[in-house]
Amino acid sequence: MAADNPIDPIHQFEISKIAEMQIAGIDISFTNSSLFMVFAIAATMTLFILGLSKRSIIPNRMQMLSELSYNFIANMLRDQVGDQGRAYFPFIFSLFMFIFFCNFIGLIPYTFTVTSHLVVTFAFAGLIFLAVTIIGFMKNGLGYLRIFYPSGIPIFLAPLIVPIEIISYLSKPISLSVRLCANMLAGHSILKIFAGFIVMLGFLGFAPLIFLVVLYALETLIAALQAYIFTILTCIYLNDALHPDH
Amino acid sequence: MKFFLKIFIFVLPLSGAYAEGQKSAGLPQMDISTFPSQLFWLIITFTALYLFMWKFVIPRLSTTIEERKDKISNDINDAENLNSEASKILENYDDKMNSASLESNEIVSSSKATMNEYLDKLKKDNEIKINAMITESEKKIHQQKQQSEQEIKKATIDTIKSIVSKYVESVPSDDEISKKLN
Repeated sequence: MAADNPIDPIHQFEISKIAEMQIAGIDISFTNSSLFMVFAIAATMTLFILGLSKRSIIPNRMQMLSELSYNFIANMLRDQVGDQGRAYFPFIFSLFMFIFFCNFIGLIPYTFTVTSHLVVTFAFAGLIFLAVTIIGFMKNGLGYLRIFYPSGIPIFLAPLIVPIEIISYLSKPISLSVRLCANMLAGHSILKIFAGFIVMLGFLGFAPLIFLVVLYALETLIAALQAYIFTILTCIYLNDALHPDH
Repeated sequence: MKFFLKIFIFVLPLSGAYAEGQKSAGLPQMDISTFPSQLFWLIITFTALYLFMWKFVIPRLSTTIEERKDKISNDINDAENLNSEASKILENYDDKMNSASLESNEIVSSSKATMNEYLDKLKKDNEIKINAMITESEKKIHQQKQQSEQEIKKATIDTIKSIVSKYVESVPSDDEISKKLN
């Protein structure tokens, strides 16, 4: 299908092997997805290596950029979780930088968007869900179960509220992963479709071109916004685990 | 960044070529056969990034930011110290100015007083002198008056004597005449 139609909007999401690898019969080939994961961490590392090469009291541009991202995530974590969140800062920071660069590299034409695959986002969301649940039970014991029955709710509403709370708790990883993945999938598909319109319409292609430019700006915003949303929701879930009383 | 871009440009056609060789139906996201590979490489890359952030980036960035905070707070402290010192100096200056003006006022008033004293003394001395001169001249006037009175008396006596001698043989003595005059 992909080979038949050069402007198939789904073609960009296909996984293709670059180097075949197997461990115990499981296919773990190095694919284009893996390559762009490597690009994302390479971009992050480049940013920070350049930013930290000449550390000075008065920062240069790259140092400013790395400090800006550091302070952005540190403030987010402090605002949402408080000082108890410090231990989880390396994870939150890495998570944001990884998703941010995956989203942004995916905006370059002919690239692959790692975060457009549900399995990747669900791996993150599932890990966060598991970690948050474990942290919640470790810090609060069985008292963590209180999050399913918020204080101030009359007892006769409990049969209604508790199942709703349980369902909403269990759906957190799904909503978290699907939100990011669907945003990337839909945005990039629409970009590809409109790019295809430009080619198909020939001379009249300037109309979809203008639209594409606007849409691209919007997608740039969404790429940053979704990384932000993913990270801040992680912080909020972490806060729920550390302070289940709200 | 240039290095990164070069790798990127080099690899692009490769990934495209592999994509054409594969056949898939439906969404690539639902192709379960790619999941192990994606998860495996996600774990490897993300772990690498996590370790890099945890061991390399965060300690360095936080120390730099802490250092800057310290530096700024130190500078602010220094500035505050200098400010208080300056205000102290200003206070000192004001004090000195006040005491100097008080002192000068004192000097002015004391010199005024001494001047007044001197003037008063001068006045008094002069008054005494003037009074002395007045009494002396009064005395002189009095003397002169007496003298002239006596002279007038004498002249009168002499005149009377010469007049009387023209008509009378015996001329009265001076004492008799002065007795009669009185």
